Amino acid sequence: MPPVLVVEGLEKTYPGTRKTQPVEAVRGISFAVEAGETFGLLGPNGAGKSTTLGCITSLVRPTAGRIVVEGVDARREPLRVKRLIAVVPQTRNLDRDLSVRELLVYHGRYFGLPAAERESRADRLLHEMQLTDKADTKPLALSGGLQQRAMIARALMHDPRVLLLDEPTTGLDPQARRALWDTLRGLQQRGLTIILSTHYMEEADRLCQRLAIIDHGRILTVDTPAALKRSLPGGHILDVWVRSGTPVAPRLERLPGVLRTEKVSRAGDEDGLERLRLFVEPGDGLLDRVLLAVREGGADLHHVSLTTPSLEDVYIHLTGKELRE
Amino acid sequence: MTAFFALLRRDLVVAGRNGVALLMATLTQPVLVVLVFGNILPRLHLVADAFRTVMVPGLMSITMLMAGVQGVLMPLTIDLSGSREVDERILAPISVLGVALEKVVAGAIHAAVAGLIALPAMMLLMHRVTGVDVKPAWGALLPLVAASGVLSAAFGLTLGTRVQPRYSGLLFAVVLGPLMLFGCAYYPWASLGVLGPVQYVFLLNPLVFMSEAMRFSVTPDVPHMPGPLLFAGMAVFSTLFLLAGARQFEKRTIL
Repeated sequence: MPPVLVVEGLEKTYPGTRKTQPVEAVRGISFAVEAGETFGLLGPNGAGKSTTLGCITSLVRPTAGRIVVEGVDARREPLRVKRLIAVVPQTRNLDRDLSVRELLVYHGRYFGLPAAERESRADRLLHEMQLTDKADTKPLALSGGLQQRAMIARALMHDPRVLLLDEPTTGLDPQARRALWDTLRGLQQRGLTIILSTHYMEEADRLCQRLAIIDHGRILTVDTPAALKRSLPGGHILDVWVRSGTPVAPRLERLPGVLRTEKVSRAGDEDGLERLRLFVEPGDGLLDRVLLAVREGGADLHHVSLTTPSLEDVYIHLTGKELRE
Repeated sequence: MTAFFALLRRDLVVAGRNGVALLMATLTQPVLVVLVFGNILPRLHLVADAFRTVMVPGLMSITMLMAGVQGVLMPLTIDLSGSREVDERILAPISVLGVALEKVVAGAIHAAVAGLIALPAMMLLMHRVTGVDVKPAWGALLPLVAASGVLSAAFGLTLGTRVQPRYSGLLFAVVLGPLMLFGCAYYPWASLGVLGPVQYVFLLNPLVFMSEAMRFSVTPDVPHMPGPLLFAGMAVFSTLFLLAGARQFEKRTIL
């Protein structure tokens, strides 16, 4: 089966003004999403995720590249593509003058649904998103989580083939976030193709079948979350915080059981601690050897932590920095 | 076209719900001006009686200008604000130009309704005042009201897409205020011949054509602008504002 969405060589440069430089937000992004797949765009703020989604939805005009949805070229036939996709944007943009039920029904009108169908579909979606008792409420009176569900309900009104969500759980409390994940899982089970941008590792890990890790407008890697985690050397991560005048990394790298050493930088390194990330195969005496090597290198060991890799570790491995939220 | 009419329906339904507030916003100005300039000042012999007839079409055009501009400007400010409500419209199966035109049509309907309410309200207020010579020629009035509505709404689109919301107060003081004073609302353009060539400078003001259109169709006995100049002026300004507004609307909505 051909992919539902193909993005090819996508580039977007926002033109500069008298006071600002042009911004190269997306610098050549390509990926394809299969039918029924949940595909994640993972990266920090400013990585180019929203611009990529904006180009797919026609709200951003690409500088170069091609976007094809179900065989329809987005630049040549934007109106057909608009019927195939639906968007849950990052900012809550529900029509504040309409009630929740009305805004679903009007969305149906915009897409030319017959009266009976838009009424019954609105009722069904209100029920599915547990918004029936809020049907007559204006959206600004709803909590963030409920507004988010209302936006998903609105997006589903015209029965899209691809649902795009731009950081859907940003700003939600943990409970609302989990509730939204359950909602999205329900949509996955129904076979809806979902494209999701996020900077939450856990969200990407739990929901996405495949992930593109994006930074500075480029895709660093695309794979399943499991394969991304397996791609790290060793299988375990030993983080070592040291206070040192001389670099101890080369000394640590030579130790048996240590496959690779990376220095992790992070914003606000105010306490003079250096964080070294060791990709290790745990074995007898490993911690002793590390401790000894640090001491012999003339450094103080502050603390250590041994973990199995998470997506965040993959991200740090690829970019050398922590994902800033 | 389905999306166009669905959006229009939504805008009219929402406007209808705020009907009382809109009616008050529409009628306050003409009613109060009629009370002061049509009743009090002529009785004090501070204003000539003939002024009552002259100001009726002018107040209609001011009412329509304000209603048309605000009918587009206010919703547009919310649409283009941080919450980007406009995105839902852009994502509907309709072109960006279609979304912009729908805004203008909704604003034009708003303006036309305001003008058609203001006229009988003023006539009612002055029905026992002698010397008022208002004789609406409905056959000419209705199309000219519609055209004035389009002109003022297109003007609203141009202003709304170019002026930052925080400057909208300034907009009313610095742009709309002077336009109204020099918009031939309180004096016929034809009689400005006494100013010499300056009379033609007034043609840079779109409100002049709306006022003269109303004068043409509401008080035909008062001297008014020749038909061809009137129609040409309205057509030129409407086209100009539609093109400029739609172009800027696209710039503001598609990054």
